[in-house]
Amino acid sequence: MLRRVLLYVCLTAAAVVVLFPFFWMVVTAFKQPGQAFTPEVFPSNPTLENFRRVLSDYGFAKYFLNSVFVATSAALFATLFATMAGYVFAKKQFVGRDKVFGILLLSLMIPGMMYVVPQFAIINRLGWMNTYKAMIVPHLANVFGLFLMRQYMMTIPSELLEAAKIDGAGEWQVFRTIMVPLSIPIIATLFLLTFQFHWNNFLWQLIVTNVERLYTVPVGLAMFKSAHEELYTLKMAGSCISVLPIAALFFFAQRYFIEGMTMGALKG
Amino acid sequence: MARLGKRSRERSGSSDVGPGANPGPRHASRLARETATSYAFLAPFLVVFAVFLAFPVFYSLYLALHQVPADSFDIFGGLEFVAFKNFAKLFTDTKFWWSVLMTLYYAALIVPSGIAVSLSLALLLNNRLRFVAAYRSAFFMPYVLDMLVVGIVWTLIYSPHVGVLTRIFESVGIGAFTERGLLGTLAYAMPAVVFANVLKGAGFGMILYLSAIQNISPALYEAAEIDGATPWQRFRSITLPLVKPITFFMVIVGTIGALNAFAEVYAMTSGGPNVDVGGRALGATWVTGYYVFDTFYTQFRLGYAAAMSYVLLGLTLIISLVNRRFLSAEV
Repeated sequence: MLRRVLLYVCLTAAAVVVLFPFFWMVVTAFKQPGQAFTPEVFPSNPTLENFRRVLSDYGFAKYFLNSVFVATSAALFATLFATMAGYVFAKKQFVGRDKVFGILLLSLMIPGMMYVVPQFAIINRLGWMNTYKAMIVPHLANVFGLFLMRQYMMTIPSELLEAAKIDGAGEWQVFRTIMVPLSIPIIATLFLLTFQFHWNNFLWQLIVTNVERLYTVPVGLAMFKSAHEELYTLKMAGSCISVLPIAALFFFAQRYFIEGMTMGALKG
Repeated sequence: MARLGKRSRERSGSSDVGPGANPGPRHASRLARETATSYAFLAPFLVVFAVFLAFPVFYSLYLALHQVPADSFDIFGGLEFVAFKNFAKLFTDTKFWWSVLMTLYYAALIVPSGIAVSLSLALLLNNRLRFVAAYRSAFFMPYVLDMLVVGIVWTLIYSPHVGVLTRIFESVGIGAFTERGLLGTLAYAMPAVVFANVLKGAGFGMILYLSAIQNISPALYEAAEIDGATPWQRFRSITLPLVKPITFFMVIVGTIGALNAFAEVYAMTSGGPNVDVGGRALGATWVTGYYVFDTFYTQFRLGYAAAMSYVLLGLTLIISLVNRRFLSAEV
């Protein structure tokens, strides 16, 4: 009994420490503007003023829509491409298959920082600076996602595909009516993971945009960070807006997040 | 990641013998057809991969070997070939070697503390308790949230004079951080960045450890208990050795993560606070990832930044190889 109480105490203490920054972020966002550092834990007269100002006066409503657009379309295409590619690596015999797959996996060893400079130069050369496609297209080949897809699809019996082909289904039809429906869990997982990645892909979005109308929430927040050093209540409201969608997605689909993120490490 | 790549390649190699392994004219035409279809399906993925992931690796080397003028955006035209000048400059750049040192320091702090916290949380959760799922979600959630936001929130918490943690320290008689805050105090800036990051990332390692621990046969513990082993002895000689693969994985991923560290430094310290080393101002959190960003984004020295990222790649590969040695030797 004592042991159980002790365990609960430890777990609760750990949860309090781990979640404290987010608690503090929310509490501060509800304090009166400019009153970020009042020592009280719960604001004595909470206000939505910070949210109103950040959303309308500081353009976060627009940044939010930009983030939604960029993350959604990037997640959609990245997932589609990885699903198509995963299908052929899992189910087809073709010339050069293992070589191509090997090269793709080799790229996983390259640190992300490596790509920043040359990718920027390419985007610049293509004349894509300050466009949505610059934020989206470079990350549509998700090798890790492809790997997850392939692992999952290899467990789907090939007989199902053969049977459909005998019934006269074309390649695309087989993919769309058999492979995709049977892979929904992994497709959902990959969609969520790529959405999360693009929502948080701050460095790249900062690099390829320098006009305010294209800012995403994190970029807006970064600009805000240097411009309004003192206005912590506003910053915290902006931070809340930035993490809210991912926190909500995590709340409703945490199984997909946790499994997807740890699958590579556990089954690889 | 490196480990993951190697194994799966071996696996795909062994599954190569498929239904149509026997050669023949009919098979050949089938293979040709399958190959055409396959590449049609692969086309979008491969095009993006080629342009934005494969080509940049070589293009980066090209940039590293050229002088890229700071005022010109047309980086394809009129680049002056300077051979290894950028690399030579890098090897005499105090700021760069300092950044490598700070990166190693960062890794030396975050890897063991990350492992300790993850493993502790996993051990706590590995009990028959109610609400285990809720605790598990609470610990994991920060891992999916944005590092930039987490960093900004921590700068608020760490603020000098008025930050909540600074006040807590003060109330227990520790006034050392009052003037500059934890992030502004030389000796504590890096540990403070690491602390914020460990709390954010611990949930990931926790899940890995938890599933490894739950795979250990209860019979082992029962046998040890019968032999009179204390809980600590059981942990030392059963749990710890059996979760070793996860520990190695955490070391590799943590070290490579340190080489890529950027957002946390950007959000919290911008590489500072500065320390005077032999008459030069060097940042106490000036990690290599941040130096690459600074060189490229603030100073717009593309060639030099590219050379730097190549050295980063070299370090990453060395770490992967060393770790792989360890892995095959010890596991």
